[in-house]
Amino acid sequence: MTDQRTARGVSDRMAGAISQVAAAGALIVVFVVLSIVAPSFLTADNLFNLGSQTSVNAVMAVGVTLVIITGGIDLSVGSVAALSGVIGVMLMAEYGFDPTLAIIGGILVGAVAGLVNGLLVSVVGLPPFIATLGMLSVARGLVLIATGAVAVFGAPDSFRLLGQGVIGGFPIPVLLIVLVAVGGYVVLTRTKLGRYSYVMGSNMEAARLSGVPVRSYTTAVYVLSGALAGLGGMIAASRINSGQPNFGEGLELDVIAAVVIGGASLFGGRGTVLGSLIGAFLVAVIRNGAVQLNIGTFYQNVLIGVIIWIAVWWDRYQRRKLSGDTG
Amino acid sequence: MRKPLAIGLLLTLTITAGCGVEVRRPTGGGAPGENVRLAVVPKAIGFDFWEQVRVGAECAASKHPEVTMHWDGVTSEDDVSGQQSLLQDLLAQGVDGLVYAATDAQALSNVSSTAVEQGTTVVNIDSGTTPQPKNVPVYATDNVAAAERGTDLLARQLGGKGKVAFVEFQPGTSTNDTRGEGFERGLAKHPGLKLVARQSSESDYNTALQVTQDILTANPDLDGIYAGNEPSMLGAAEAVRQAGKAGKIKIVGWDTAEGQIDALREGVVSGLIAQNPFAMGYQGVQATVDKIRGRGEQRATDTGATIITKDNLDDPDVRKLLNPSCADPPR
Repeated sequence: MTDQRTARGVSDRMAGAISQVAAAGALIVVFVVLSIVAPSFLTADNLFNLGSQTSVNAVMAVGVTLVIITGGIDLSVGSVAALSGVIGVMLMAEYGFDPTLAIIGGILVGAVAGLVNGLLVSVVGLPPFIATLGMLSVARGLVLIATGAVAVFGAPDSFRLLGQGVIGGFPIPVLLIVLVAVGGYVVLTRTKLGRYSYVMGSNMEAARLSGVPVRSYTTAVYVLSGALAGLGGMIAASRINSGQPNFGEGLELDVIAAVVIGGASLFGGRGTVLGSLIGAFLVAVIRNGAVQLNIGTFYQNVLIGVIIWIAVWWDRYQRRKLSGDTG
Repeated sequence: MRKPLAIGLLLTLTITAGCGVEVRRPTGGGAPGENVRLAVVPKAIGFDFWEQVRVGAECAASKHPEVTMHWDGVTSEDDVSGQQSLLQDLLAQGVDGLVYAATDAQALSNVSSTAVEQGTTVVNIDSGTTPQPKNVPVYATDNVAAAERGTDLLARQLGGKGKVAFVEFQPGTSTNDTRGEGFERGLAKHPGLKLVARQSSESDYNTALQVTQDILTANPDLDGIYAGNEPSMLGAAEAVRQAGKAGKIKIVGWDTAEGQIDALREGVVSGLIAQNPFAMGYQGVQATVDKIRGRGEQRATDTGATIITKDNLDDPDVRKLLNPSCADPPR
């Protein structure tokens, strides 16, 4: 029994590594092609833009990776990001909060939404899809109630630093990607929360029976996802120095796409921070390059959809091959 | 204090609506003095533009004490099926008049004709349907003509030549495409203008910022931008501002949200194409009431567009247009 499970763990890890390599390979290919066909692609300015543009999705993808590893899903991240963004900006514009406090406030709003998701899943027992689908709607509704559906302006100029600032030549949003990625990596590989997440995602019942406090860890994962959605929302708000009530509609799909392209399995038990980051960058590079080549949005969407198919097909193909080899 | 009150009110309204058990008459309200129930449905609730439509609609409704007006809409302008359901629900509730802006010209044509068949008075504002039922008038901006005038302004500001980009918002929708058509007609008149990029913002401020950044990267010598709506222009302006090219790149575009007017004063934006949303709301409701009462003739009307630059921004007529009120309505 133990041997079998270890074998499965090893093959899972190998399959994960393979999908990561595939995604990284795709990223490199797209990168090289774009550098050749779009002369402005490989310029410092564009890489600067690209990094900043990816930050929102990348930060959120790290949170969603955790959730997906446990076998869950978080459909609410786009709405939650919008809620954090508008409330964060309102804290500054209407209640005179200092930007730092307002950013923390926005992240806390996201964490609270994540806590509700987590409790709905772990205590009430709703399927994650339903719990977070409900939150997608609830958070969007709260955004519209709080703002009257009108954008919130009036944050101080210093708030722009979060999404537009530079430290030592690096855009702050890019440094935030690094920070969140390192944090996510440490959580996943060096903490009980991370290791139990893989265990829960591989076999929830087995995890419960072997004494893993499933409820609290599940809740914690959704809280982290919510908080990172909150951070993503604050970065997006800072990039345009305003809170937009319609921000993030459909964003959850881009984020989940990034995580899946990066090799995470929607059935749980598998996924890495690095893979999801590669996925987020792949989606962003394609969009960035397509605009530079003046390819229309419709074609960009088709392209990204096709890449999702290929990524998941590759994933399943490799898994089948591996289980065939080892089993 | 305002917000808890608003939430309380909302809850009360919801509960009241939920508990409403009065028997609804399918038609009626024709005779003077009888209560007339109108529903006004914008493409989406929120956005400055639709709020101004609402001010106009409520203004017209307030002139008729026996008219009650219900304002409702979906939250996203591309939620076509959501709007369709909402309109069907309102018709099922038996409103006497329906004033709405179609999120999709073809999909909603049936809703209009069904409504007319069952005796409901229908008026379109901002966007009509294809086909447009004969007895459903449209009160809207002539987008093609106004876009052409906007393009003329951009051409003038660029001295008749230069590279330009078009940040559109929802390719495939009639508003987007008619604004594109007018722009293309304008370009044809000014052969010195060269269109180097056409990208969609998906009506999202962040996306508009990103695509404009990428357009600027690919075309460092860009001279002008034509933006199809509010988020497209705000994002384009922000990208130009962040690139340190404010004022060097001319931006002309649609709508007049607060952020756009600030950008015009600041000099990042050089021209706004202003519609008259107040007039759409006002005339739409007025026409519906008249029609139910059997007064006058209602026909499709261009509610007009005004080109706003720094020079006329503080004219009294422009101020009235930008901050419409029922007490002092814009012309």
